[in-house]
Amino acid sequence: MSIISKMLKKKQKQRKNDNYRQKLDPSDPGELLIHRAYQENLARIKEELGNSSDLVSKEIKIGNIHGAIVFIEGLTESKVISNFILESVMQTGEIPLGVDYYQYMLDKTVALGSTKTITNWNDLYDSLLNGDTIIFLEGYNKAISGGTAGGEKRAVSEPSQQLSIRGPRDSFTEMLRTNTALIRRRIKSPNLWTESMKIGTVTQTDIAIMYIKGIADDKIIQEVKKRLNRINMDTVLDSGYIEQLIEEQTYTSFPTTYHSERPDVVSSQLLEGRIAIVADGSPFVLTVPAIFIQFFQAPDDYYSRFDLSSALRLLRIIAFFIALVGPSLYIAGTTFHQEMIPTTLAIAIAAQRENVPFPAFFEAMIMEVTFEILREAGLRLPKSVGQAVSIVGALVIGQAAVQAGIVSPVMVIVVSITAIANFSTPVYAMAVSARLLRFVLMVLASFVGFFGIMVGLMIMVIHLCSLRSFGVPYMEPLAPFSRKNLQDVFIRYPLWAMKNRPMHISEGNMVRTGEHQKPGPPTQSNKDTSQSKKGNQQ
Amino acid sequence: MEKAKISTKQLFALVVLFEMGSAILVGFPKNLKQDAWIANLLGMAEGILLFFVYYRLYLFYPNLPLTGYLQKIIGKWPGRILGFFYIVYFAYLSARVLRDFGELLSSTIYTRTPIFFLMTLLMLTIAYAIQKGFEVLARVSELFFVIVYIMAISGFILIISSGLIHLENLKPMVENGWKPIIKTSLKETLTFPFGEMVVFTMLLPYVHLSKKVKTVCISGMILSGINITIAAVINIATLGVDLFTRSSYPLLTTISKIQLLHFIERLEVLFMLYLMIGGFIKVALFYYVAVAGTASLFKFKDLRKINLPIGILILLTAMIIAPYYSEHIVEGLDIVPIYLHWPFQIILPCILLVIAFIRNHKKTAKEPAP
Repeated sequence: MSIISKMLKKKQKQRKNDNYRQKLDPSDPGELLIHRAYQENLARIKEELGNSSDLVSKEIKIGNIHGAIVFIEGLTESKVISNFILESVMQTGEIPLGVDYYQYMLDKTVALGSTKTITNWNDLYDSLLNGDTIIFLEGYNKAISGGTAGGEKRAVSEPSQQLSIRGPRDSFTEMLRTNTALIRRRIKSPNLWTESMKIGTVTQTDIAIMYIKGIADDKIIQEVKKRLNRINMDTVLDSGYIEQLIEEQTYTSFPTTYHSERPDVVSSQLLEGRIAIVADGSPFVLTVPAIFIQFFQAPDDYYSRFDLSSALRLLRIIAFFIALVGPSLYIAGTTFHQEMIPTTLAIAIAAQRENVPFPAFFEAMIMEVTFEILREAGLRLPKSVGQAVSIVGALVIGQAAVQAGIVSPVMVIVVSITAIANFSTPVYAMAVSARLLRFVLMVLASFVGFFGIMVGLMIMVIHLCSLRSFGVPYMEPLAPFSRKNLQDVFIRYPLWAMKNRPMHISEGNMVRTGEHQKPGPPTQSNKDTSQSKKGNQQ
Repeated sequence: MEKAKISTKQLFALVVLFEMGSAILVGFPKNLKQDAWIANLLGMAEGILLFFVYYRLYLFYPNLPLTGYLQKIIGKWPGRILGFFYIVYFAYLSARVLRDFGELLSSTIYTRTPIFFLMTLLMLTIAYAIQKGFEVLARVSELFFVIVYIMAISGFILIISSGLIHLENLKPMVENGWKPIIKTSLKETLTFPFGEMVVFTMLLPYVHLSKKVKTVCISGMILSGINITIAAVINIATLGVDLFTRSSYPLLTTISKIQLLHFIERLEVLFMLYLMIGGFIKVALFYYVAVAGTASLFKFKDLRKINLPIGILILLTAMIIAPYYSEHIVEGLDIVPIYLHWPFQIILPCILLVIAFIRNHKKTAKEPAP
């Protein structure tokens, strides 16, 4: 492992050098300044962007001075440019003498909400490539950048992965600002802080770190910033890139950061003291630190009543377990521990397996791999051919496979149960880990049956206990055990009983719910209600 | 020493799981017949007394493990040599317990799988845990504690509800007088498992709240002692004296007798789950202590570097310790308690305590407290 990490480090170093070469050389400050002659500037932009066809530059005359506007088509809102820049420029008459043209332009002509002055080329490219419009004026070594970012974007739609019966129906889009707005719309507190940075030496992706000051732990915030700042990579195309670079441990199949496409989920995470990382271009928002049990908490759990949601959560955990050990239990049971299966069932299974030529392990392996192929193919195939996959799938995993004598009917049932159980984990990243580990357990079960499964599970538990996410033990609050934090683990307590924020994550401001929140029949005395109001205000 | 801190809850879970570990499988003195459980209870009481010796030593040197304060008490080189013997003792015990579990698995369920393979798998699991450090081991034990308790309680309910318990099997009590009971308790049930608390002399410096160590350890010992006693009572009551003394794993026999509603039967799986967990914690603690002791004695900074070599050594020792099971058991009952357990668990710590007491007394006499 150490050799691999050394090699990786070497590679990273090399890449670091390459990246710096691509950036403008900051050693010569003269190179970075904007030229007084606007035509020089135009020529330079054209040259440096390789005369790209989506670059639009237009020479203009404002009153009595010359200038030019430059923007990139597609990134900008063309209506805004024509209405608020071009139109007003055309209408500007003679500019009175003795007035600073630049200031006049900034104050009177450009009727945009956000404008800023740019003096060097790095900033210029930043705003230009973000969709702003640049206005040069003859004789000034600075430029106006008008906020005209816009262009085509996907509308806020229903979530496609993390569905719920009850609860809000919006989901994040690819636009950073839309996403942060969706969160802010839910938490109207001045304490919700947003910090921005750019990651990706070439892609220059905007990243926003969001947290609630006073609830999130400062140490974790610092750690998040430190890890984000450390990233030196050319590309960030999705929050998945960031996730992989800020994880505590790479060599694990369990996700140590949480991601969601639902603003309500991210908001609730923020309110628990977690920190959200929003990346431009990704509809998935990361939240850290993540703990194991969090991946079994579905949004519905909080919107519906506690009894049902607790039962469903237990069901989900059991389903995860089934998805993990289903086929390996079948292998162990049929090859090693026939005596542990009830006799009638054992005879039935033996009769069915009579015609199957393979040992149980191969039988299970064939079916599981087939199913995984089907699943992957179903995901990748164009929608128009999707129908074909489901028909073929029903043939491959079904009666035909049994009749062909390749697998036994019990195996088909085992595979189907495993598959269905696997889909009940609310977060895909966690479901995937069960999917992978299932095969390891199958191999172990084929060697030493139940003992092998136990060894596999124990190693898994040890591994889980050794994981940390931003310093928080992954198995919190089970190991290290803390009774106070059990409010939201296997059983979701009634909302009025979830008094505190999770203690291992949040810092300070622990109280969540006021006193006397337990609802009940109307009481005679007014004392109770006045007290509860007081609690609320606190 | 590793930089680890464990909470008192974790210490409690470790103590209970460690004590119950293999004792609940083989720790019943069968020569006492129906009075075996009394010896278990007596052993617990004696064990608690013995624990005070370890605890006093810990109080003298709260930041040092056994291998560390040995050098302070009896001098640098004698301390190191004695520390080395302790390490060998721990490693040997680890190998013994490993063999116990290997034999159990290979004689009951995996009759055709080579015992070496079974032990290697278990050892790999444990080595992995130790590679991750003591804190992880403590956290794991916390999780396992809950699992073991759920299983124990459900097993208890199942045994009672299937009407297997015949308390008349326990009579007559103290048939042959107290003498054999006390003798057996000193020889067998004190040294195994309660005297094995000597392992914690190496682990107590890790505990976060050192004030609570005494209560936590003793309550853990009491809980595990009561559990072992309950297991003994249930075994005798269910199986009868005859079957109890003849079966090599009474608890397994008891559990296999559970039959309820023609559906809940063959619960050996539960038993195996317990077996894995108990075996894991017990072997792991002995193994860890051997590793940590070696590291402190030979000044290794990183435990993880010597983890695997010692693990392989323990595994091989477990293989060559005895040619077959009966010899292994005879060794365990006749030789190990007298020639190993007594000196290392009782005699040496007592001597150490006396020397430490005199030394510290001298010190305080020389420099009177301000």
